[in-house]
Amino acid sequence: MTSQTWVLILGMAIVTYIPRFLPILLLSRKEISPSFSRWMSYIPVSIFASLVASDIFFWEGSFSLQPLTNIKLIPSVLVLIVAYKTKSLLWSMLAGVLSMTLFWML
Amino acid sequence: MRNESVLSGMKASMPIMASYLALGLACGIVLYDAGFNVLAIFLMSSLVYAGAAQFLAGSMVALGATIPSIILMVFFLNLRHILMSASISKYVKRKPLSYLSVFSHTLSDESFGINYSNFQKDNWTTNEALVTNFFNYSAWVVSTVLGGVVGSQFSINTLIMNYALIAMFLCMMVLQFVSKEHIIAGIVAVVLSILFTVLLKHNIALVLATIIASFVGYYLEKRTVEKGVRIND
Repeated sequence: MTSQTWVLILGMAIVTYIPRFLPILLLSRKEISPSFSRWMSYIPVSIFASLVASDIFFWEGSFSLQPLTNIKLIPSVLVLIVAYKTKSLLWSMLAGVLSMTLFWML
Repeated sequence: MRNESVLSGMKASMPIMASYLALGLACGIVLYDAGFNVLAIFLMSSLVYAGAAQFLAGSMVALGATIPSIILMVFFLNLRHILMSASISKYVKRKPLSYLSVFSHTLSDESFGINYSNFQKDNWTTNEALVTNFFNYSAWVVSTVLGGVVGSQFSINTLIMNYALIAMFLCMMVLQFVSKEHIIAGIVAVVLSILFTVLLKHNIALVLATIIASFVGYYLEKRTVEKGVRIND
């Protein structure tokens, strides 16, 4: 392994670890005001929605609402229904993988 | 640590391990093709442990990008973890530094999602959370190394495996729909993340969309509460 590879891996490790470690270290050590914690309760739903939307509405790098080109769209509607009905991660994943495999084969 | 914690943590980790095994294999292959040897892949997966960042590093190295530019891209890509680390902190209050340092190192998007959802159900312990993280982490390290060993002998459909994780995040989003305001915040985040991704063509779109959407939700809740107080007067 070259020293360049070492530098790259260590650099990546540092810039990845700091955003993961600092907030949890600082915030778990002190009392949080009620309004701050109310605001924080909206972070997870917004993160999940952003992670999903920035993936499923894009096909090969561009925004696409064409269900026949962007084959992630219809499976996502199915997954939403399954998730809403079952509240189960496992069933949602299964519904997603199965419907996605079907669309991919078509 | 009790055996039950190990078992329930492992059980929670199963669907994630399954997708990590396939995606990790693919990532290991990408890294190997970009010129990383098996030792480098092992070190990267265990020290960095960030799937999207490792895929990105593989493709940037293959394109001949400089080391500082790759590190900078990884930094922006992983800034979203600030928000995850901050919002899960309320469930690991007063844990020792050793716990926090290991827990946060293994806090991937998926580990955050599964643990946050489980912590909300009340009976999820910090030990179970750490076990879940550990299994996710191990699956990633092992499968990327394996990908480096087998090389490009076979191909993996990353589209479908990646979609398994997307489906999981969709369900996690639905689980967060606990009030009208939370649903609105989710919708705002969807619209903004699309808009910012199109405009900025950069992963920072996710962070901006999340911050604005969470403020919208919080503001709406505050307004409703204040109205309620006035009516009660």
